[in-house]
Amino acid sequence: MIGTNGSTNGRKFRDMDFGFDRFSGLYIWGLFIIIFALWVPDSFLDMNTARGLASEKSIIVLLALALMIPLAAGAYDLSIGATTNISAVLVAQLQTANGWGMWSAIAMAVGVGFVVGVVNGFVVVKLKVNSFIATLAMASIIASVIIIITGQRQPVPPMDEQWRNLTQFQIFGFQSVALIVLAFALILWWFMQHTPSGRYLYAVGGNAEAARLSGVKVGKWTWISLIISGTTCGIAGVLYASLVGVSLTFGGALLLPAFAAVFLGSTQFMPGKFNVWGTVLAVIVLATGVKGLQLATGQQWLETMFNGVALIAAVSFAVWRQKQSKVRTREKELEARDASRTSDQ
Amino acid sequence: MIDNNVKGGQAGTRPALSAQHLTKTFGGIHALNDVSLNVKQSEVHALLGENGSGKSTFIKILSGYHRPEDGGEVLIDGQPLTFGSPASTYDLGCRFVHQDLGLIPSSSILDNLYLNSGFPTRFGTIRGTDARRLASADLAKVGLTVDPREIVSNLTPSMRTGVAIARALIDDGRSAVRLLVLDEPTATLPQNEVDSLLEIVRSTAESGVGVLYVTHRLDEVFDIADIITVLRDGRKVATTPVANLDRRQLVTLLVGSEFDEIHSESINLHSEHGTNILQVEGMIAGPLDRVGFSARPGDIIGFAGITGSGRETILGATFGAVARDAGSVSMEGISIAAQRPDDSMNAGMAYLPPDRKTSGGFMDFTACENLTISNLNKFWRYFRLNRKAENSETQHWFVELGVRPQTAINLPLFGFSGGNQQKILFGKWLSRKPKVLLLDEPTQGVDIGAKAELHRRLLKAAADGAAVIISSSDVDELVAICHRVFVMCNGRITVLLEGSNLTVGKITHECLAVQEEKTA
Repeated sequence: MIGTNGSTNGRKFRDMDFGFDRFSGLYIWGLFIIIFALWVPDSFLDMNTARGLASEKSIIVLLALALMIPLAAGAYDLSIGATTNISAVLVAQLQTANGWGMWSAIAMAVGVGFVVGVVNGFVVVKLKVNSFIATLAMASIIASVIIIITGQRQPVPPMDEQWRNLTQFQIFGFQSVALIVLAFALILWWFMQHTPSGRYLYAVGGNAEAARLSGVKVGKWTWISLIISGTTCGIAGVLYASLVGVSLTFGGALLLPAFAAVFLGSTQFMPGKFNVWGTVLAVIVLATGVKGLQLATGQQWLETMFNGVALIAAVSFAVWRQKQSKVRTREKELEARDASRTSDQ
Repeated sequence: MIDNNVKGGQAGTRPALSAQHLTKTFGGIHALNDVSLNVKQSEVHALLGENGSGKSTFIKILSGYHRPEDGGEVLIDGQPLTFGSPASTYDLGCRFVHQDLGLIPSSSILDNLYLNSGFPTRFGTIRGTDARRLASADLAKVGLTVDPREIVSNLTPSMRTGVAIARALIDDGRSAVRLLVLDEPTATLPQNEVDSLLEIVRSTAESGVGVLYVTHRLDEVFDIADIITVLRDGRKVATTPVANLDRRQLVTLLVGSEFDEIHSESINLHSEHGTNILQVEGMIAGPLDRVGFSARPGDIIGFAGITGSGRETILGATFGAVARDAGSVSMEGISIAAQRPDDSMNAGMAYLPPDRKTSGGFMDFTACENLTISNLNKFWRYFRLNRKAENSETQHWFVELGVRPQTAINLPLFGFSGGNQQKILFGKWLSRKPKVLLLDEPTQGVDIGAKAELHRRLLKAAADGAAVIISSSDVDELVAICHRVFVMCNGRITVLLEGSNLTVGKITHECLAVQEEKTA
């Protein structure tokens, strides 16, 4: 019995690490806020900075979540940037050039995102093309479709109040886009953590063969993950067009920040798993760091540099962490076995 | 009866291998108990034994993977081997060809030969013509005449083994090859390919190298070996020249006195009555050649056979884990499509794959997530998965199956020992209350205590009305729990053993029997 107590206490003591591990992102965020609050108090501590950041980064959160879902199921979706782009172009052009109503244009734009997901899924699941290649090619195809649709001319976004209010309506000083994205994240979190579907997606990503032999339809869930991704990008495109207007190229530039956020996110809250809140937190931490540095130094190259470094750091940290946790879990188990052996006697 | 003390090495010639008094224990159990063995130059020495007899432990000591207990000694061509050092093993001239060969199928023979030992180069560029000439010479040493530019995946299985042997024998200028260890080189070869491989082994030995030849197949032993050593339960039971043995004596040596032991527990209660629940007919898949069998509720059926006999394919093909080319599988009269594990499960089947790490479990997922993955709808209530219910179900099976540590239901699967991992996967399938339970190597890599516990669970599942079907290379296991055992040879079921015929000796004998007829 003494052995049992001793080792339990020992374990408890070691577990008192204040969650530096799983919640390191929160600590780093706090650190950033303190540093920049001291460094550039006037511009950084302005509430408008926070609000501006929330709107600006909402689209990235959405794209990162779109990337996260197929990654959890073991598939890459490199077409997220292009899909967001075509959705933004369509929703603007249909309204201003073709005279569609707002809601039907939105439905069309989101529908195109859905269709891109379906086609991606078909190529990956039915034609058995590696998802990395398939979606990379799809991004190129979509880029050419955008040129066909627009004739290289940037579409003019609609000017009416209703269209802008979609994302710029003020609630407690925050623009509605931030709340829409938050609600969306909430739904995805429920879907991934609290439904059998989410568990199946993680199972397919964790070990496809074991999933198949457990009765999980691997092809079906891979396909579904890509459809969710495409549809999410459709929504992201609409929100972007309403928030800042239309650009022919912005989507591609969002791919890397999305990757950085997803991988950084996989080290948070549920280490080793791509997860919704980790991804959201990662976007916020990265954005805070970049914004603070920009306000302090005024340099424009900071953001891309920061994202690149963060992606490498996140992935190498995740690899290192994985190894550590295996060692530690093994130790714990051996300890527990010793303990149970002692108590059996 | 048989001379147990044949002294190796005539005066004057040093043996290629001289291993003296090797002992190895794992957790107090002797895997190898004072085994001595000599291999002379140019000799083919066959090493035989059932699973768990200590063959692989012996080889792993030679290869530098295991260290033996104090008191053991190994000399390679007279030089003492440093234990636990693969480099020492290599430098002294020991070469190994394992069952999986370790070739890169998509590369040429040439690339496979020299990837490790180095290509002939000038100014950092591979000298193509010289390399090809060299490769042809190296291949000729093992009696292969084939263009070195040929891609390995285009070769016949025996030629591939030949390339692996040629690679092992390459003279890299660092150390001369003294001993070649072949670990079950013919296990996956079709019968007609075996002869060409034996030819390769013969010409290797003639070049002066000592060959230690590990195998399960008895007929090739008589074809190729000069001398045989038999291990059983970690001990050497005999070393004897092949000429002094016949097949019956060899089988007796392999399985020991258990030859006539009778299956003691007659627990065949249910299977006398009842109708077939599972019916398999004319199944062709991998090595399987029109195989059929059926099972009734309460049956415990076993499949035995050497590697390559179809024993390792039959359950996967039944469940749909591997493709089947022809034949039908039906549950309670309803036929089930090929390669549809989900349909098989819905019809009441459960299948435990042989490899926990790659296909049985999700090693990074918690025990609880592993246990409930095939049964999630049960926990889907009010638009969310009920974690509490999942945890209590898992806790129930942890207690039921004696998983240690008992409270670690949310520990990742990789954190558990092999036996406990297997218990968790048992729980996953038992919680579905399957009507037919298919288990491939259910206790592989599981310690003795856990094994007994798993066996008890299988008996209970059968008593509760499930049909339990086991495919195992562990013959003791089959005898211990099965009512009936089908023996497989060359892709077919050759005999059904039950009642007083169900003994370790009989099964082993029948596993090797077809080959006996062929040579007779």
